[in-house]
Amino acid sequence: MELPCGVRNYTYEQDMAIIRTKTQWGLFIGFLILLFTCPLYWSNYWLSVANLVGITLIAATGLNILTGYCGQLSIGHVSFIAVGAYTTAILTGKLGLPFPAALICSGFSAGFIGLIFGIPSLRVKGFYLAIATIAAQFIIIWVINHWSALTGGFLGIMVPYASIGGFVFKSEASMFYLIMAIAFIGLFYAKNLARTKVGRVFVAIRDNDLAAEVMGVNLFYYKLLAFFIGCFFAGIAGCLFAHWVGFLNAEQFSLGESILYVGMIIIGGLGTTLGPILGVVFVRLLQQLLSVWVIPFMGAAFPLLPAGFTTGLAPMLFGVAIILFLVLEPRGIAHRWALFKAAYRLWPFSY
Amino acid sequence: MAELLQFIITGITVGMVYALIGLGFVLIWKSSNVANLALGQLVLISSWFTYGMLVQAKFPLWLGFILVILFALALGWLTERIALRPLIAQPILSLITVTLGLGYFIEGLVTFIWPWSVDTLPPLFSTEPLHIGPTVVSQEYLGAAAISLALFILLTLYFRYNKMGIAMRATADDQFAVQACGIPVTTIFSTSWMFACVVAAIGGILMSSIGGITYGLVETGLKSFSVVILGGLDSFIGAIVAGPIIGLAENIGGGFLTPLTWPGVKDIIPFIIIIIVLFVKPYGLFGEVRIERI
Repeated sequence: MELPCGVRNYTYEQDMAIIRTKTQWGLFIGFLILLFTCPLYWSNYWLSVANLVGITLIAATGLNILTGYCGQLSIGHVSFIAVGAYTTAILTGKLGLPFPAALICSGFSAGFIGLIFGIPSLRVKGFYLAIATIAAQFIIIWVINHWSALTGGFLGIMVPYASIGGFVFKSEASMFYLIMAIAFIGLFYAKNLARTKVGRVFVAIRDNDLAAEVMGVNLFYYKLLAFFIGCFFAGIAGCLFAHWVGFLNAEQFSLGESILYVGMIIIGGLGTTLGPILGVVFVRLLQQLLSVWVIPFMGAAFPLLPAGFTTGLAPMLFGVAIILFLVLEPRGIAHRWALFKAAYRLWPFSY
Repeated sequence: MAELLQFIITGITVGMVYALIGLGFVLIWKSSNVANLALGQLVLISSWFTYGMLVQAKFPLWLGFILVILFALALGWLTERIALRPLIAQPILSLITVTLGLGYFIEGLVTFIWPWSVDTLPPLFSTEPLHIGPTVVSQEYLGAAAISLALFILLTLYFRYNKMGIAMRATADDQFAVQACGIPVTTIFSTSWMFACVVAAIGGILMSSIGGITYGLVETGLKSFSVVILGGLDSFIGAIVAGPIIGLAENIGGGFLTPLTWPGVKDIIPFIIIIIVLFVKPYGLFGEVRIERI
């Protein structure tokens, strides 16, 4: 890990610490205080944007573990989010289970379904696996649409509010605390996962899985583990999404969203913990910017624009953004940030 | 019995069109090892452009077709130049994702220019249905199958005898050797992308003349993936053989399973076939098995 000049590690604990210097501690605690006092002065609209960012962040972290660290490309991630969402809808809505139990169950159910669709990863890699995950996306969404008795079919399903021990999470602010707490735990877990043996095995599999197998890594176990963990995160995100939105429909989980998630982690930076944060914030804020300000503004300023402008502009811009990032900065915003930090620390010798 | 024959004929004809679109994919994969995941969207935009030419600009049929072919050529060339030329040596994840981004962009572009989601093309063949035995087959299906077959034969001959076709096959085999022979590999990439777009355009026109222009064309493109997976990613013959198989499975399975299970089972059969093929025989019927060495 890069440290500022003059900071040396004298013990193992110091070497392994995530937050090393007093400045880093100060910034971190300041950031936490700012984050958790946000609901006091933010409007409901911005809190809902923050909630969406938090939920997307949990799912994107899972996808990052699967694709960024372990190299198993998955273009069907929102279908696993959908599995988690519908699981909690059925468990809390129809069976009346308490919310914490439904949270864990939706994580596990999404994890197991992800496991099943990850089994082809043992025989194929790269593009073939991408096709398998696209097929998974379609199959899961089709099952959701057609298994009406369980999932409400095309009409969708209502989800009750989350409640822990009597406290009901109705407002955006209360959901904000819940989502941010879970996101924090998830990110901490992902960061530590990357630093342990499992994380190193994932990276070894990504770089050259044959060589990893020669070194003694059990590919079967670890690839499936990557799918399970990635989809567990997706399930948790789906559960929170269901309780946040209140009404689920298969249309909310389309292939376009899946592609957007892959775009998010690539724009943010694959294989880093900071990457999903940056990518998710970038994409979701861009979406909000477009839908709330740019499009109405341009619609009012240039009334001669064709009618398809509103719905067509966002996908076009995101497609262009994905292509531009891949062509110009394939390692994502996180890499640029790391370069900036290094330049800042080494100034004036930063070249 | 009549129903079975109906399903068979529909299945084979639709399968031929899937195979045609899949052929475009195999082309790009064979020559440049890039997986073109934007296939469905390329089909979509070509169909909408055809609509724009034939209905909105009211060009006659022959002129409209020539313009669509030119458009597809230009689209392929632009795509290769802007999105793929800078990424020549990058890992496959970047290549797949850039085609994903391209597909996303094209979908947005289509919504931008033609914001209504469904439309129909003017009929390309006469609407008189033919009677083959006890079944009734609309001429569109037969015309689609005939055109697909003709294109297949043309392309096979092209790859066997034409100098450029042979160069493309050589590039698919060994890029370095081809470069050593003095053939510009970038030209070959451009040509293969242009070909693939033209083939996708023709497939799109045929599909939309059968079923109208909807966003389902993207799903048709995805079903073509099942054709190439079943047939083998780098095999033309595999695409021809697997296309009708998938079409048959879809229609016969849909026809017989729909009353028994849920309606709409027809849509999911190609994707289940993908999963089964990936479990059982990942490289497809005719595909080349990748042997990896460290």
